[in-house]
Parts: sequence; structure tokens; C-alpha cells
Amino acid sequence: MIGKSVIRKEAWEKVTGKAKYTLDTVSSGTLHAKLVTSPYAHARIRDIRTEKAYAAPGVRAILTGEGLPLTGEDLRDRPPIAWEKVRYHGEVVAVVVADTLMQAEQAAQLISIIYEPLRVVGSPKEALAEGAPLLHENLATYQKGKYTYPEPGTNIAHRTKIRKGSMEKGWAESDVVVEASFSFSPSDHAAMETRCATAEIRADGTVVITASTQAPFMIKRLIGEYFGEEVGKVVVHTPFVGGAYGGKAPVQLELLAYLAAKAVGGRKVSVWNTREQDMVTSPVHIGMEATIKLGATKDGKITAAEMVFLFDGGAYSDKAIDVTRAAAADCTGPYHINNVWCDSLCVYTNHPYASPFRSFGHCEQAFAIERTIDMLAEKLQMDKLAIRERNAILPGNTTPTQVMLNKSNVGNLPACIARVRELIEWDEWQRIEINSRLVRAKGVSCSWKTSTIDTDASSGAIITFNTDGSINLITGVVEIGTGTKTVLAQILAEKLKMDINDIHVKMDIDTQTTPEHWKTVASRGTFMAGRAVLSAADDAIRQLKAIAACILRVSSEDLEVGYGNVFLRDDPSVYIPIKEIAYGYKYPNGNAIGGQIIGRGHYILRHLTPLDKETGAGKPGPEWTVCSHAVEVEFDKRDYTYRIIKAVSVIDIGKVLNEKAALGQVMGAMSMGLSFASRETFFFDRYERVLNAQFRTYRPLRFGEHPEYIADFVYTPQIDAPYGSRGVGEHGLIGMPAALANALSTAAQVPLNQLPLLPELIWRTKEGWFNDSV
Amino acid sequence: MIPFDVAYYRPSTIEEAVQLFSSLEAEGKRPLYYGGGTEFITLARLGRTFADAVIDLKSLPECRILSVTAHELTFGAALSLSTIEEANSFPLLTKAVREIADRTARNQITLGGNICGRIFYHEAVLPFLLADSRVVIAGKEGISEQSIHEVFEQYMRLSPSQFLVQVKIDAVYNKLPYVHTKRRQQGNTGYPLVTVAALKKDEKLRVAFSGVCPFPFRSLEVEERLNRKLPLDVRIANAIEALPSPVLDDIEGSANYRLFVLRHALLDVITALEGESA
Repeated sequence: MIGKSVIRKEAWEKVTGKAKYTLDTVSSGTLHAKLVTSPYAHARIRDIRTEKAYAAPGVRAILTGEGLPLTGEDLRDRPPIAWEKVRYHGEVVAVVVADTLMQAEQAAQLISIIYEPLRVVGSPKEALAEGAPLLHENLATYQKGKYTYPEPGTNIAHRTKIRKGSMEKGWAESDVVVEASFSFSPSDHAAMETRCATAEIRADGTVVITASTQAPFMIKRLIGEYFGEEVGKVVVHTPFVGGAYGGKAPVQLELLAYLAAKAVGGRKVSVWNTREQDMVTSPVHIGMEATIKLGATKDGKITAAEMVFLFDGGAYSDKAIDVTRAAAADCTGPYHINNVWCDSLCVYTNHPYASPFRSFGHCEQAFAIERTIDMLAEKLQMDKLAIRERNAILPGNTTPTQVMLNKSNVGNLPACIARVRELIEWDEWQRIEINSRLVRAKGVSCSWKTSTIDTDASSGAIITFNTDGSINLITGVVEIGTGTKTVLAQILAEKLKMDINDIHVKMDIDTQTTPEHWKTVASRGTFMAGRAVLSAADDAIRQLKAIAACILRVSSEDLEVGYGNVFLRDDPSVYIPIKEIAYGYKYPNGNAIGGQIIGRGHYILRHLTPLDKETGAGKPGPEWTVCSHAVEVEFDKRDYTYRIIKAVSVIDIGKVLNEKAALGQVMGAMSMGLSFASRETFFFDRYERVLNAQFRTYRPLRFGEHPEYIADFVYTPQIDAPYGSRGVGEHGLIGMPAALANALSTAAQVPLNQLPLLPELIWRTKEGWFNDSV
Repeated sequence: MIPFDVAYYRPSTIEEAVQLFSSLEAEGKRPLYYGGGTEFITLARLGRTFADAVIDLKSLPECRILSVTAHELTFGAALSLSTIEEANSFPLLTKAVREIADRTARNQITLGGNICGRIFYHEAVLPFLLADSRVVIAGKEGISEQSIHEVFEQYMRLSPSQFLVQVKIDAVYNKLPYVHTKRRQQGNTGYPLVTVAALKKDEKLRVAFSGVCPFPFRSLEVEERLNRKLPLDVRIANAIEALPSPVLDDIEGSANYRLFVLRHALLDVITALEGESA
């Protein structure tokens, strides 16, 4: 069962188009909300006139930001609806609730708002410059988490510091030093299903929310915390989610749906994003500016690393704080460096606010680090894979946050590098001229990632039996398209030695009946929920054995569960079918014992600690998946255009649980990484308004434009994970931007340190057109 | 969604369509002729266009014609771009429309919609500018046939009550050597940085552009400069000096970069066409 390419449990629903997503089920009487958003990126709201809109047909309520509590997961800096000030283009300034969507839209046009534009902040560097306008004058008064460190009087929402070893010593030991700067703007997740939510408040005060989200349990908790609702009276439903990629980890529209429902006496209200709104109003993929300085000995040993990451958190910090912290925790990449100094800042700008994006800060920082390592290799005239091998992090080394690595909690990077070397035929050639115009080049990178999630994040699982002995599997993992729920069924089938078809998976989440899984993020679904499932299986096995021992008059220690039976280990002919005891056992005379078998299990991450404020020391996650990547391009020296020929990712996965699913995750992630790196960005005008918030002008990679994808694995088990498997949902993405930039820098023979890698950027870099517009 | 009510009409004759427009207008409505709807729906959704009523032209037999005779090719304005692409009766046009949007959109976008719409690239018009085509236009005054050069000046100069019925070209044009190239910011789909369509007639180059300026154009001045007996790079430089407006500078690409792309596009197009005669 383990390793088999079991077809997803929800495959038939999805391929026949029958799968139901949040807004596919609209009950009659539902009211509709239209979001009125700001045309300015930074402005004072002088006046909001809603009288005319109120008078429009069908209007039930108009919400403004007045009197609403501030929200935010680590730092409460965001009003759910802007009040007094707007801080990004697309920010919600009012919500109109009406009987029909059309009435809501029509009334929305009648709201008149007078803005007084303010000076805009268009990048982290601008935000940190002296005299920059402050986005949050009241930063000092905001409620914040214990480990969030805003710097009042500046535009810094949070700073993570990593201090390891001695920089003085590191520079002294180095023979060469390279330094470079990198940047890219915010972009979009472009999930197929735009973000949406409905809410109603029942007569007894129960708040019922349905949302397209990765975090149903966090919605429940936050509605409780922000608005004083009893947490047990908040019930969140999540059906299938049509793509999330981190963009559905933050809680945003759910708050508006709740507020809207409250404003109309609890009636059900539906709130959804148009595509254009989804791109700017809801949180975006973070932007970044970074400077990396590396020192190394002549033979390529990196002795010192100094890094400054200025993340463009946008107008509000929310999840961006966590993203910037995660980038810092793994700041060196998968390399053993004794002397590390890193400042990772979450900076306020007048851009749409940021959220996680698949890889959670890692593809962003890896772009900067891996480009710098290539520059270092060039300076040392060293092979680019050899320098990575030379510095590869190994068991016995410590991470930037000073976690000691062992054979279980880190994968085998040298093995990944060796495999990439073969697959991309690195030793054959790295740059060849095909003719006077075309050149082919290869670029490589390495990456790693741990999860930096809450130290008390937990996951639960329940298994119940049916009368035929089949099982219902209930976990809190949201099916966001990763197939995790099928993999969990495989884990259970393996454990109980039963047919996967006899395991029925509950796909949707109902926070009242589904055990909690913290959030479906961080490639942690299979590990945490997998452990919970195994624990639930153990619990069920214990119960099955207890009752079977009684009936068979044997000691339960001598029993085994499997193949639909409970049987004697040394004599399987003595057995009782599970279906005869799953609901209790009835003796021939009618007496009965036992009852329905309900297995329950949970898992909580072990020994995690917050990062120390001054040094960053701490244990952010349970294990590090390591990877190596390569990209081959064909570049036209005359036009600066290029084709991506081939992309390779080798990941130390520990153990493959479902081969096709794993390959699908890796290739999908690679595609996303290449799309981001080669073409995705928001374009801003000088007033920091997003100019391309639609698919006519924001154009992700299309089918047919993709290169040949090669995904392969190395197998170093994580001992405490289900069957030794490691997280793999994001890792194919992490090294792609860097590998592409390295390939193109080699091809064009010019350092390319910005994204996306549009031909115009290469032309500009090569021909020195930096003072041009755009 | 489209935040206003739109009445939908699907007349079956040209007269009916024109009449409908007049009567709707007389009722104080704002009618609009309608082809595939891709542009109308997008702009309406964003509140950038408005109509009380749309008059769908896709059922007018004249607008659906695709005929090839010994002398003339006729393209109905309501043909979808993918129909034109599959028929492949005018190879330069086939190439031009195949580069517009994506296949799913081309199943919907009509020839008339691309030429007469508001989005300014109008790439399907380039082959017709080069082929000195004739356009059949219907309106309150009846049906008329005119040279495209009289009607298309940066955009189709039609009154709201007029619509494009057909575009016709002489059969000779579909036998001429041609080149078409579309250069984008990145990838195989999207608006042009530079689109150049060219054909050669009587040993003279004819060249039309989209994406270079905020309107498509064919300029006799540009063509004259490209046809001079001078080194190619000089001709291209001279031609660029004669562009009818400053070069576009927008999110697809800066003006300087567009010029860089344009120079190479012209170089490739002319080399291909002049190489053929050699």
C-alpha cells in the first residue's frame, strides 16, 4: 500500500465536475455582499456617504470600518474594513449587503467616498528611508504576540535576528568575499477558485461559516478572539478547496462575512472575490529586497554569511511576519556555515498585504542565496555543484538557529546533488553555443525547508467502523488539491492491513465534528495527521483486541489485526471478523458486549521553541527536507528571449507514500516556481496602484509552455514520521527561481538578480538601461 | 457579474439588426452590436462599458460567410477567429489570428469584434490593411462597400449604429509572399510588444504594425523608407523615425525596449521577404 499510486479518493468527483466547492452550494435566502475597494494606495478617508446606496433596492446593510477591532495573527494592525485611512490599492472600504449580487453591485456604485491622497511608500527601502511616511503611526499601541517585535516610529512590523558564531572570525578566515543585492515585487497566487466565504448566525447565536480556506480551525479561533464569540459556538465548514498555495492561510473574507451576517440579523451572507479583487484585495505573494554577503576560503568553504532580507509585507503584517521569520530560520540555505548574521524584516509598504506563498519565504530567500553562491563559485573559479557539495549541511552540523542535526531530522543533500549532477548531465557541459545567436546553459541550486509553525500545533484523527468492517477516516486536513487525504487513507490501510477501498474518507471539514488539524500548511499534513491516524489506528486495534480476546478466550497480546479479522498471531485459523465486533459482539443467546469501535489519535509537534529575540536560537520545526535543482535554458543572445528546456528537482523525501501523487506535487511546485520566476509580478504605477490585476495582463505559465520536468527522490527516512516520509508539498518550488536565474546569468554572461526574468530585464541588465521607466 | 440589465437580441437579417438599433435608440436605450462578447463581458464586469441592449450579429448569414472565389475572398465579421484559422484561406490572416489570445478565447472572439472592439491592438486588421481590402458596412443608410483605408484610421471609424458585415480581399493577395511575427513580453500568449505583418507586392514591401503605438497602423511613409535602396539597418532606422506616434511605454514593455524589439522584428521580416526574391 505504501508507495503505490492510489488514485485520489475524490478523483471521480473532480473529473466529472461534480465536486462541490464553497460557493457551489447556494441556499435560497442567502444575501450577497459586494466589496467596495480603494482606488488609492495611501489616502485619508475624509468622508463616506452611504445614504444613496442605502436607498437602493434590495440593500440590507452597508458596513464601514467604524468601531471594528483591529485584526492580525501576530500583530493586530489591520481593521477588517479600512477606517480613516486606506493603506493599499484594493483595500476594502465598505461592504454592501443586498438581496441579490446585482443589487449589491449597483448600490456599491452609489457610495461616495472622499479621499485625500497621501505620499506612498513603494518598496521596503523607501519605507526604511529617513522621512518616509509612516503607515502605522500607532504601531506602539497595537496588541501583539509575545514573539513579535515591531519597531514603533518606523515601518518595521517585525525583525528576526539570527546571530551564530562570530562574524569577525568568519571574515578573518575568508579569502574572498562576494556581495550582491536582489529584488522582486509582490505577485499573485492565482488559485483557480477565488477566495470566498459565507456566514450566518443562528437564533441560538451559533456562527456558521463556510469558507474556501486552509485554516478552518484558525477562523473559529479568531472569530472568537476578535469579536468575543464563544469559540464553541463558531462552526466552520470547508468543502474542497480549488487551489490555495498559502493564499488561503490568512483569515480575511470570513471576517467580513461574519460582520455582514451580524449586520443583517444573522441571515446568511455570501462574500466572494472577483478575480481582479482576489489578486489585490486579498493577501498576495510577498515581495523582497535583499543583500547577501558571503566570505569563503580559497578552496570554497563558506566561513561567513551576512544577510539582510527586507520583505515587502505590504500594508498589514498578518502572516507576513511568520513568512519573514521562516526565511530567517533557514537563512543560509542547506549549508553549514559557522558564522551567520541575518536580519529579516517585515516592512510596511503601500502594497497589497502579503501572505504565505507555497514554500513560505524559502523560494524568495533561496533566490538571493543561491545566486550569491554562484557568484562566489565564479569568483573562486570553482564548479558550481562542487561548491555546494563542499558546504552541504550534514548530520552533526547546526542550523542557523543552532539546532543540532542528526540522521533523522535532515536529509542527505550530497546524495541529492549527486543525482542532479547525473540527471542534468552537468559534467558534459554547462554552457554551449549552438550557433551565433543561440546558447544553451544550465543552472543549479539547492534548497531546504522546515516548517516554522506554532510550537503547539497539533493534529487529530478519528476512525469509526461501519457494520461491514469498513472504516470512516476523519481528519482536519483540508483537501486543497494535494491528495493528502488519500495518502492518509493509505497510511491507515497499511497499518490495518486492509483494502484501501474499505476506507471511506470524509473530505469536508466541519470544525464541530472534525478533529483539529492546526492549518493545512507547511507540508505538514502527511506528517502530523499521519501520526494522528497511526495513533487512532493503534487505539482502534487496542479496542478490537480487547473484545476479541474476550470472545476468543485468549490474551490480547497474542492477537493481530489485519485483513478484516482479529486473529491469533501463531494460529490465524483462530480469528473473529472485525465486522462482527466493530459494533459490539452479540453472543448466540442475545447477550452483547463492547460497542462501536471509535479510534482516536492525535499528534503534537515535539520540543519546538520560539526563536530567541537577540540570537534567533530555537527549534522552528521537526525536520529539514533537502533538495537540489537544475534548469536548462536555450537563450537567444540577440533578442534576450529564452526557452526553458528542462527542469530537475531531486528531493530527499524519506519514503514515497504515493508515487504519482508525490511526483505531481513536485512537478506542480516546479511549474509554479518557474512561472513566478520567469513572468509573474504585479506592475505598479507611481501611485503604487496595481496595473495588471487580471489574467489578460497577469499571465502565469500555460500548459504547452512548460519544459520537460524531471523529479526524482533520495530516501533518507525521518525516523519519527509515518513510514519515514518527509514533507514534499512545496519543495519542488524552492530552488526553481534561483536555478533559472543561475542558468540565464550563465547564458547571458551577466548577473541577473531581479525577478521576474523577463527578456526585457535581461536586455536592461545587459545593455545598462536602468533609468528607464517601468 | 455584469452589474446592469442587458436585453439580448439576435436578429436574422441585416435590416432587422439595423432597425433594432434604431428602435432601441428611439426608446432612449443604449444598444451595442455584439460579436463573441469576450471584450464586452470583461469591460462590463469592470464597469468600463455600458449597454442596455446587445444586438448579436452571429445569426446574420452575411456575417458568417467565408467564401473563396477565383477573384475574391470574403470574410464575414461574425466568423470566430478559430474558424478562420481552420479554414486557412488567407495564410497571412491565419497566422495573424492564431497569435491572438488563446484557443478557448478564439473560439469566441469574432473577426469583427477584434477589428472593431475597444482593446486597441486589433491584430486581425493588419493583413487587411496590407491587402488593400474592402469593408462592407451596414447602417441606417443601408449597406456600403468602402476601402479599408477610408474607414480604418487608428481604429474603425464607425458610428455606433453601423457595423462591419464583411471584409473582402482580391484573391491575388493570398498568393503573395508574407511574413508575420508577434513578439511578447514573455511566453506564447498575451498582448504584443510588437506585431509586424508584411507582404511583398510588385517587389515592394508592405508593412503593418500593432503594439508599437497605441493603435495599429500601416504607414506609406514607413513603407517608403523601408523600400529605399539603402542598407537594411539604415532603412529600419529611417522607418522608425517616421512612426506615426511616440512608441508605447506600458506594463508590457518600456518604449526603449519596444524599439529594440521592433528593430529586430523588422530586420527578421525584411530579411525573410527580401531573401525570398533573391
